[in-house]
Amino acid sequence: MVETQPSLAVKIGKLQLPYPTLMGSGCYGSGKEFVQFADLRKIGAVVLKSVTRLPRMGNATPRLVHTPAGMLNAIGLQNPGIDWYLEHEVPKYARLPWRVVGSVAGFSVDDYAYVCERLAARDEIAGIELNISCPNVASEGETFACNPQLTAKVVRTCRDLTDKTLIVKLSPNVTDIAAIAYEAEAAGADALAVINTVRGMAIDVDTWHPRLGNVTGGLSGPAIRPIAVLAVYEVARVVTIPIVGQGGIETTRDALEFFLAGATAVSIGTANFTDPRIPERIVEELREYLWNRNLASIGEIVGKANVGFATAHEYEGDEG
Amino acid sequence: MTTVDTPSRVHATLVTGRRELAPGVVLLELDAPELAASALPGQFVMAIPPSGESAATALGIYEAQMRCASLLFFVTGKRTRELSVMHVGERLDVVGPLGNGFDLSGSPRRVAIVAGGVGIASVLLPAQALIRARARVTLLYGARTASLLVEAQRFADAGCEVALATDDGTAGYHGYVTDLLERSRNHDLILACGPSPMLRAVARVAHQIGVRAQLSLEETFACGVGGCWGCVVPIVRTSAQAPSFPPESAGGSDVVHARICKEGPVFWSNELRW
Repeated sequence: MVETQPSLAVKIGKLQLPYPTLMGSGCYGSGKEFVQFADLRKIGAVVLKSVTRLPRMGNATPRLVHTPAGMLNAIGLQNPGIDWYLEHEVPKYARLPWRVVGSVAGFSVDDYAYVCERLAARDEIAGIELNISCPNVASEGETFACNPQLTAKVVRTCRDLTDKTLIVKLSPNVTDIAAIAYEAEAAGADALAVINTVRGMAIDVDTWHPRLGNVTGGLSGPAIRPIAVLAVYEVARVVTIPIVGQGGIETTRDALEFFLAGATAVSIGTANFTDPRIPERIVEELREYLWNRNLASIGEIVGKANVGFATAHEYEGDEG
Repeated sequence: MTTVDTPSRVHATLVTGRRELAPGVVLLELDAPELAASALPGQFVMAIPPSGESAATALGIYEAQMRCASLLFFVTGKRTRELSVMHVGERLDVVGPLGNGFDLSGSPRRVAIVAGGVGIASVLLPAQALIRARARVTLLYGARTASLLVEAQRFADAGCEVALATDDGTAGYHGYVTDLLERSRNHDLILACGPSPMLRAVARVAHQIGVRAQLSLEETFACGVGGCWGCVVPIVRTSAQAPSFPPESAGGSDVVHARICKEGPVFWSNELRW
């Protein structure tokens, strides 16, 4: 019998988190935007919106379209550039009662190195996520995460510039995500974020125009959850570093799928647009789930999906 | 437009009334005393779908009186359909009030309010506030067809002069509501809410007749609280609503992207570069 409350604390690289839940980059601002609506004492960390070397206006509108079981977005990395960001934004994160992880995007290895070094040097920033998988910036954005050699190069370069936790965010828009994950770990990544959005497109059949200003976008939400669970499962088989599983998590049972597939933590993005109270609900219910099964910590279920034999059970997912 | 810090939060409300004003046009009355007390003209809420199965929906706050806040919307898809079939007594959680509404300062004396279609949902509160401040308010209200011109009498009862326009000529002027604006005279302020093509026409006419206009913009929101940068509009950097971003390095543009949900949804028409 478990005597104390089951532990939800996890370690991602050097990052000690009280809860295994991160708020996905670009979905949650710095957390301040949600502080009136959600209990941010009950989240693991907020991954900040990606920042680049130079300021970016971002893509033309529309940048969002709701789709069946999800949404397409193409924001285009709108951000003020690292210099302005360090001077005006980062100081605001000094006294936040929750941890923030910086997110770095770029168009060359030099870009990543420049931004990563400067951002990681700041005490306000608990760790760094390398966004090498943005699908919405011309053709270059995903170059890194779609190529094992480039992934290795950008990760190794940034690894040499900081001791802080490096999380590398991978793209699902590849043939073999495990091969990329393997290279990222070998190059020194502390953890992997699996997955970024899945490329998609929607067309207005009345006007014949694409529904997004950028023509193509990234699909998120429950529509991509099975894709993400599989990606976590495949990556978990080839790496030993922690995986932050993400893609359409809306409920505790969704999150549990990711833990069982091999994720040490999960990230919640689009679900915050349905109800900002979802993250706190998930941690409360995760604790209850562990308690009911006499498990002492969330770590006990990581990667425990029983794939040794096929079950004849019906799949009991929401979609029945 | 002045930015305001409103006491926004998640309100657990109860549906106390539901009326179908026209086919596919629904008014939900909510018992929401704190929301009703804090809502400013032109603000909106994000309505959390009871099923939890889709993103929250941005809806203008139609009326706020005593304990009751009401939402008026057209059924356009899955999300608004779910809200439209709610029953009295059911619980609806809403996040709000959100955004920067209409700026009614400066004691405007003669105000034209231009509403197109579902845009009517965001202009009753400003109309009431202006009438309380003894301004003369004319509602110019357009829709595709007569049956969609809901609540016109409500505005007349509130003390507005009302002029109608329909695309098909089934009520009022046969043509665009902005034609009525073009012919209007002596207004010192224009407020408008409706589909983007109408708002662009309002901006053009306002410029022609030399009257300042505030437009409540329509866009797809994801978060509704300024966290995702999905709902932007280009505005001049000198605007009080411009987010404090550095000059865009490429070309040194004097335009920045403002978030419609956070810096808006209401903007001065002469500050938009859309």
